[in-house]
Amino acid sequence: MHPRGLILALILLFASRAVLAQEADTLVAAKVYSVQVYPVSRAAEEVSLPGLVSAPAQVADVLRRFTGVQVKDYGGAGGLKTVNIRSLGSEHVGIFLDGIQVDNAQNMQVDLGRFSVDGLETVSLYNGQKSLRLQSAKEYAAGAAVYLRTAEPQGNALRLRLRAGSFGTVNPSVRWDKRLGRVFLRASAEFTASNGRYKYPCFDTTLVRENGDIRSLRLETQLFGHTPGGHWDVHLYSYGSERGFPGPVIRRAQGFPFSAERQADQDLFLQGSWNQDWGVRYATAVRFKYANNYTHYNTHPEKNPMALPYDLHYRQQSAYLSLAQSYVLSDPWSVDVSADFQHNALDSDVGQFVRPRRNTLTAVMATRLVWPSVRMAAHLVYQGSWDHFDAQQAGGWTRENAYRDAWMPSFSVFYIPFRWLEADAFVKRSYRLPSFNDLYYSLMGNSRLEPESALQAGVNLRFKGASGPWSGSLHLSPYYNRVSNKIVAIPTSSQFRWTMLNLGLVDITGLDVKGEAGFRQGDWHLALVLRYTFQRALDHSAPDSGTWGNQIPYIPLHSGNVDFRLDWKQWSLAWNSSFCGERWSRSANTADYYLAPWSLSDVSVSWRWKGLRAGVHVKNLFNRAYQIVQGYPMPGINGLLSLEYNW
Amino acid sequence: MKKAALLLLCGALAFCACQKDPVPSKDATLDGTAVDVSSLSTSAQKLFVLNEGGMGSNNATLDFLRFKDGQYVTGAFKKMNPSVGAGLGDVGNDIAIHGKEAWIVVNNSGIVEVISADDETEIAAIQVPTPRNIAFDEKYAYVTSWAGAFVTYGADYSVSDSKNPKGQVYRINLGTKKVEGTVEVGYQPEGIAVYNGKLYVANSGGISSQLAPNYSYDNTVSIIDAATFKVEKTVEVQVNLKNVYADGKGTIYVTTLGNYYDVHSGLYAIQASDPTQAVLVSGSGVKEEFSHVTASCQVGDAVYCVGTEAEFDWSAAHQYYAWSVKGDRVTHYPIMLDGTPYGICVLEDASDLHYIIVGDAGDYFNPGTLSCYRLDHNQNEKLWSVTAGVCPGHFALY
Repeated sequence: MHPRGLILALILLFASRAVLAQEADTLVAAKVYSVQVYPVSRAAEEVSLPGLVSAPAQVADVLRRFTGVQVKDYGGAGGLKTVNIRSLGSEHVGIFLDGIQVDNAQNMQVDLGRFSVDGLETVSLYNGQKSLRLQSAKEYAAGAAVYLRTAEPQGNALRLRLRAGSFGTVNPSVRWDKRLGRVFLRASAEFTASNGRYKYPCFDTTLVRENGDIRSLRLETQLFGHTPGGHWDVHLYSYGSERGFPGPVIRRAQGFPFSAERQADQDLFLQGSWNQDWGVRYATAVRFKYANNYTHYNTHPEKNPMALPYDLHYRQQSAYLSLAQSYVLSDPWSVDVSADFQHNALDSDVGQFVRPRRNTLTAVMATRLVWPSVRMAAHLVYQGSWDHFDAQQAGGWTRENAYRDAWMPSFSVFYIPFRWLEADAFVKRSYRLPSFNDLYYSLMGNSRLEPESALQAGVNLRFKGASGPWSGSLHLSPYYNRVSNKIVAIPTSSQFRWTMLNLGLVDITGLDVKGEAGFRQGDWHLALVLRYTFQRALDHSAPDSGTWGNQIPYIPLHSGNVDFRLDWKQWSLAWNSSFCGERWSRSANTADYYLAPWSLSDVSVSWRWKGLRAGVHVKNLFNRAYQIVQGYPMPGINGLLSLEYNW
Repeated sequence: MKKAALLLLCGALAFCACQKDPVPSKDATLDGTAVDVSSLSTSAQKLFVLNEGGMGSNNATLDFLRFKDGQYVTGAFKKMNPSVGAGLGDVGNDIAIHGKEAWIVVNNSGIVEVISADDETEIAAIQVPTPRNIAFDEKYAYVTSWAGAFVTYGADYSVSDSKNPKGQVYRINLGTKKVEGTVEVGYQPEGIAVYNGKLYVANSGGISSQLAPNYSYDNTVSIIDAATFKVEKTVEVQVNLKNVYADGKGTIYVTTLGNYYDVHSGLYAIQASDPTQAVLVSGSGVKEEFSHVTASCQVGDAVYCVGTEAEFDWSAAHQYYAWSVKGDRVTHYPIMLDGTPYGICVLEDASDLHYIIVGDAGDYFNPGTLSCYRLDHNQNEKLWSVTAGVCPGHFALY
């Protein structure tokens, strides 16, 4: 039977159960207004990490399975991994850790390879407008968002975990939870080392990937506390790593290495939040963050005669303060007002570097009308940014032009016409500011560079049903996006001097489909998830160019995956097969830039007994050779063993 | 005996005749896009077009235009050398003809690729670190390189000054295709030309300008004596030098890119007889300031350039004018080009008609186009246009 047919059949069969029961349970007292309880948007995907059969090595491993998501992966433990949602571009994706954005003013791309899943509870994806009360203004401003949430400790606990596997990977970690009166403390440490050596096909021969090793150490401390009617947390995080970049696979004279590039990073942040209800109508949320990221990049020409002699240091600092307020005017009507202020600074010893500083104010006014089965929201975001720089050497830049601002309106509706159907829709305009790299880094300034704009519209239909031991659901999400004023890099007369122009226009029509079926009886638990993503992302930048109307780089028309899971007593088995259709690495959709379709299968088995948990995870089971980014081969079959004990 | 000698001579003549007979070249079966070359009258067989490709993308490609039947063939190296699985390589930076060979400088592959100019089959792949441009004399090919002086011991390499190394000129034996010595020149050497036993090397300082503590471009031409293979003299020109052309009559032309801020691009002339100063070449009267150089090429004793006035305003849509210098005469042409001319090639025919072939890089990321115009024509009449590879920037006539 066709898989989609199976899902539909399941839904028709079991579409009799109440779907609102879960939400209604939280309505304990009459003093809680519906507007404070019912969400106007739902996460497109949400995964509980402790519930997974085998803990994935990185957040990217969880995200790559979500519908509408493309993870760009340069391969190996140290390779850059960025996420692109619904073809908007990774700069439009906000990554939020406990509600506070992990940002990077330098290139506006967050490397998901650096996020350990070790301390995380859930990973969720919002591919449209998230609309919950007490959101920060930046949460409204992101085109699409990934939420990483850490869990609050429940008592005293200690967890030791050791993982080891292919490519000389060793990954010990420890997590300690302690109750200190009314405050909970969590401290954790994790070390990772991997030599990154794996075989790959290099044109007509087979080579081993070199200089892809990494060592990293993560240390974290968190405090969680409660106040009457509120809660707070503080999070101190540090991450240090030293890694090699193996470089693209190209024709290279025999005897010259591909790359000897190394990078060392030291990331530190302190962040916290305090959510408080003041009476029944008014509530506030305060958030703050200070981040300091240091990078040292060296091409090591003494080891590689092909290397250009770069030995560069960067320090990026940011300070962030946010106040969100929510007020219930009269049930079911509420108003939220949030304002965020952020300061970013980038220092470097790059030649003629202008040390940019940016102050960004993001403010939002949101209003919601919420009945249990009909909910609607309107949001208006204003974002203004002021740049400062040492201008004495800057050509093309003007201080007058260093202010950019944008209004971003959005609307959401949510409707439950039947017990077995939830429908919602949104329309949204969002912007992303030019990054420091776009504007100031080792290139010719373009003071007229405008923010990149994204218009998004989408509908979500969620059919649900359950009967006896069976349950099933089907999500259908058609959407349309238009990215305009897309910031495009153009080299000047020297290949090492680039400039940025607002040249791109991309029209994206897509459909995300997700079907789930579950069976639970006695010791048996079965779950099947089918995901399919259709994305037609067309380059409409220049009508007279040869690439007009072609599919944009790296976006497959068809992609999807199948997740199967079986639990029986202490045993769990998970199987995932994913498929990525044909792609091109350029908008010239020609044979030279064709990337063949690939499919991959991963399997995990775990076993638990009291506090002990052991697992084995095999990736790329059939040893397929594939590339996600042209020139960056991915590893073949590889495995990871995991052993943990919880006290 | 005489008869026998005569027969032998006849036989030899016949043999020669056979050799000279147009045996179909192995690449004659390669087909491409037909373009109308009927108005081009040239004695050359083909025009090679080297497409740089994008750095790290391994997509340098070699195209050629066959004048006999007007076929524009793309990706000829890969088609004629299926055994070289990696193709031509990463960033094709220069191409030049020597005899029946075409020498292609593949920058980020560290390879100088020598192929048969007749059928594009590989003759040799010579290892040179970060090679940039090439020139020949009777015995050697000279290749500029950005890599510092490096020494090998076992399988390891070491660069003498890894912080900001000066570049080198590599000397390659034309017969054995082996490197026979290097000489240190200025920072990031680019163009090179040979005239009268001397090598003229343009030093750019393109990387040096980004490095602490000086952040400065190079502004010198290194003059090397070919016989001793030592730098004899260093002449200051202007910041950020690019190409060098010797007109064969004692003048050395050097193009500069400027500093992209307040020093404009230009063309400078150095006299080989007294190489102490460089003089900016420009027109006279109203055309005086029209001497920018975005792309350039040499035909015989003339140097052709295209340039644009507002060259530092990268967000503007530019109009490029064309001009040339030959001896004392500077000529401006009526043609105005739009788009992004990345490389040019000028064909002169017997009746003194000039055609300019412009490699347009487009968005620098996707395949560019090659277009042919009448240089002396009032209207910007495009004779033909064809899709090339990524960044079509370098040309060679064979």
